[in-house]
Parts: sequence; C-alpha cells; structure tokens
Amino acid sequence: MTLKKRYLRVVHALFIVFLLIQLIPDSLTTDTAAAYVIWFVIGVEALTLIVSALIKKPVSLDLFVDIVAFIYGLLIAWTLATAKFDLLKQSLFPPPGRVLAQFVEDYDKILVNIQSSVGIILQGYLLAIAVAVPLGLFLGWSARLGSAATYISKFLGAIPPIVYIPYGIALLPTFRSVSVFVIFLATFWPVLAGTMSGVMNVEKKTIDSARVLNVSPFTMLFSIMLPASLQQIFIGCNQGLTVSFVLLTSAEMIGAQSGLGYYIKNYSDFGDYTRTIIGLIVVGIVIVFISFIFNRIQKFLLRWKQ
Amino acid sequence: MSKIEIRNLTVDYTEKKNRFTALSDVSFSIEEGEFVSIIGSSGCGKSTLLSILEGINTPTDGEILIDGEPIKGTGTDRGVVFQHYSLFPWMTARKNVAFGVKQVNKKASRAERLRIADEFLDKVGLEQFKDKYPSQLSGGMQQRVAIARALAMDTDVLLMDEPFGAIDAKNRTILQELLLELWEGDGTGARKTVVFVTHDIDEAILLSDKIVMMTANPGRVYQEIKVPFDRPRNRGELVQTAQYNKFRNKLLSMFYSDIADKIGGEEVVL
Repeated sequence: MTLKKRYLRVVHALFIVFLLIQLIPDSLTTDTAAAYVIWFVIGVEALTLIVSALIKKPVSLDLFVDIVAFIYGLLIAWTLATAKFDLLKQSLFPPPGRVLAQFVEDYDKILVNIQSSVGIILQGYLLAIAVAVPLGLFLGWSARLGSAATYISKFLGAIPPIVYIPYGIALLPTFRSVSVFVIFLATFWPVLAGTMSGVMNVEKKTIDSARVLNVSPFTMLFSIMLPASLQQIFIGCNQGLTVSFVLLTSAEMIGAQSGLGYYIKNYSDFGDYTRTIIGLIVVGIVIVFISFIFNRIQKFLLRWKQ
Repeated sequence: MSKIEIRNLTVDYTEKKNRFTALSDVSFSIEEGEFVSIIGSSGCGKSTLLSILEGINTPTDGEILIDGEPIKGTGTDRGVVFQHYSLFPWMTARKNVAFGVKQVNKKASRAERLRIADEFLDKVGLEQFKDKYPSQLSGGMQQRVAIARALAMDTDVLLMDEPFGAIDAKNRTILQELLLELWEGDGTGARKTVVFVTHDIDEAILLSDKIVMMTANPGRVYQEIKVPFDRPRNRGELVQTAQYNKFRNKLLSMFYSDIADKIGGEEVVL
C-alpha cells in the first residue's frame, strides 16, 4: 500500500470536522462533559493512525476506517443536534459528552451487568451445544437409516422457546436458572435441527469413503459426520445465539435484578435516558463482540472450505 | 486357493417396482499378486461388482471369498480408491493418509502414522503439498493422495473403481505410470492383488495381468483374457510393438462384437 492510500482518507477529515464543531458555542444545553468525547475521539484517532500503519490487507484497513468514520459521523451529528443547536428534546437526547461521562462513572456497575448477562448466555448456550450436537449426530445418523427422529424434533423445535418461560418459572427456583433453561432450549432446537440436517445431507461418497476405511461407529460420528456437517451446525448455533440475546434481554426487562436488560429497563423507568442510551450502546457492543468471536471460531473451524 | 473367488454373484435392484438385474451369475477368480482389470461398457455392472468387493453393497445371491473366507461388509484387508476423490475435505493431505493408516493400525502412535503418511506422499510426488487441503489440490493431486492413502494402509487387496476416470488425458497417463511403477516395485517384494475397474482398453492392457471383459443387460462375464506382456512394462516401448497392436485390436473387436450382438448384428458398421 502506498502512503497516500494508507493515510489520505475521509476519516481523518471527519476527525478535523469533529474538532472544529467544538468551536461552535453551546446552545441552551451545555455539555459540561464535552471533554470526555473530545478525548475519546482523539484516542480513537490515535488508534486509527496506529492501525493504519500496521495493517497489511487493504480490505481490512478499508473496513476498519469505515467503521471509525461511521462513529465520527454519528458523534458529529449527535453533537450538532444536541449540544450545539438543541434540535432535540433535551431530557430524551442527552449530549454525547454526558453519556460518555456517565459511562465512565457507571463503568463498574455496567461490567457487573455484562458479566451477569453474558454468563447466563454462555452457560445455557454452551450447555445446549454440548448436548444438541452429539444427540443431533446420533439422531441424524439413525434418521438416515430411517427413523421418526426428524419429525419429532421438527415438532418440538417449532414451539417458540419463550412460551416455556412460565413453565420454567414454576419448575425452577431462581431467575438465573430459568434464564439458563430458556436459553438452553432456544439454542438446543436450532442446533439439533442443524446438526441433524447436516448429517442427513452428508454426501454418500463421503460416507462410502469412510465405510471402506472400516471406521468404528464412534469415529464415523465424530470424525466424519461432525466435520462434514459443521457448516449446518454453525447455522443452528448462529440462530441460537441471536434468539438467546433477544430472549435474555426481554426476560431481564421483566423479572431480573441484574443484567443489561434490567439496566436499561430500570433506568428508563426512572426517566434516566442518559443511562438508557448507555445500556443500548453496551448491548450493541456486547453482541457485536460476541458475534465477532463466534465468526472467528467458525472461520477457523471451516478453514478447509474454499 | 485363489486370493479372491467370486462365486455365482447375482445382484437385483428394484427401482420403482421395476426389477432389473445388475449382475447375473458372475464367477471368476483372482490370484494372489495379480493385477486384474474389469472392463466393459456402462451398465455392465462392473462398478456394482466392485462395490460388493468393497463391502458397501450386498449381493442378492452368491458370494465372494477372500483367502477362502466369505466377505461380510467392509474390511481392513481391502484398500479402496474411488473415481470421486474420496478424501475428507476437512483434513490436509497428510491427515487424510494418516487417518487411513490409523484405521488399519490402531497401535501406531500419532508420530508413526504421520511418518508413514509422509513416506507415501513422497512416493506419489506430493512432498510440497502435504499440508494442503483437498480443495487446494487439483483432481490429479487429490487422486495421488487417495492412492497414497490406499497404499499406506498396506492392505493385501487394492480395489480401484475407475480411479483415473475423471482426470484429464495427460495426467491420466502420468498417474497410470505412477501406479504401474508403485505396484511393480523393484520386482523383489510381494505385489498386491489389485482389482481395477475401467472402460479404457489401453489403460487395462498397460496395467493388468488379466482382463475380465463384462457385458451389459444383464451384467455377465463375457471373456477373461490374459495379458501376454512382460513386466516391468514401459508404455512407450509397449505401444510400438506389433504384438501390442494385434492384442489391442483383438480386444477391441471383442468389445464391439459384443455390442453389435446386442443391437442387431450386421447393420452396425465399426
């Protein structure tokens, strides 16, 4: 990459624009914490420059820079609409500095809530995968040999997991265990269905190749069927992850004393929209982060595909 | 006692209530260390026959004996190379071969398996491609890996179902010579018993000790022909001899006279 391609980019112009609009005098609302955003943006800009210098693939740099440009654009629009020209209702739309300052203040509390939500999700999610994948391999294999397993799982999987909540509450002692249970179910069915359909769609030639090597049934399931159906399993896992987040945050809004859903609901009940916005952003970041990790794992495990 | 004995093999298929006979009373035997090609037009049941030898299919009637024992399903005494490249796409070339070795030799350590894999990949000329996935290899290279795996498993019997059928002409020639070289060895060691299915007459002559010609509707053995050429064979020299051309023409006329019989004799001009 040429120096020009590396450093001459719109994102840096946006950075300058952001700094320049700080010179406009504040209107009615005064963003007393504007310094937070300015430092944040300077930090991001520094990071962008470092990344620009280190990154190797032009495509990755484009992607990174576009994301940063989006953040800058958002912050510019947000600053102008709130602190500078007061276009939006103050109580509902706090200026960015105030949100950031509140975030810094609430940092510990937010972390605890993230831990609580992510902990529940991981527990239910991983447990579901650990049970659904081997079971799906086994049922898929016997369904190939002609059994009713497919129809049974289609029926059970068609029930939206959220309707298990009342029963779960009756069955289980704590909010946490009910949440884990519901997330378990929300993940279990799509992963089971994905695994089964994966196994049932493994090409006959792959199975024949394994059969003539005289593999044991265990090897057939875990060394042949599992990798051969991995792509479909991941489709199920992905679906489970999305549904899990929807379910958990909804559940937390209804009955929890902790978690990100609780954080948002609790503060919006008190009319504290600064913290509500923080909650929304944090939920977004957490989901993006988890999806990112998830995609990395998927990419690594499927690296043999073209 | 013959190494492989095929006795009165009959296979019927029922498809949409139509019954048709893929193999009808097929019997012949194969000696230890013999390279036998099964040749015939499509529909003659040659691949069905091989699938029974592999243990993937079961006959309606009759049986196959290996070393006097009737075969029951697949077994580690037989190595197989399919026409479709039978590699597992999630394993590198090396892992594919090592996986095969593991199935026949449970006692070998991981390091030992990988060493054997390396040895055979070297033999088929893939030193540089050991850590590639099948999707990164050409068809010819994938088939080399499949051959390396079958050889590395060191089975008595090697079953090959049109292994070069999907490979371009130039690479097919190269692979035939590679197979010939690996199978003939230096002439001192014991050779494997090979059953090789093909529809290419030149391929069959070059490689085999015996050619079993099959005919379709229903699949039957039409002729068994000994190939009268000395080993080690060299394609370049072989094809220039008069005997070769005479033998080849004899086979071709048998091949076509069978077809002519089927579709009504003299009207067919060859």
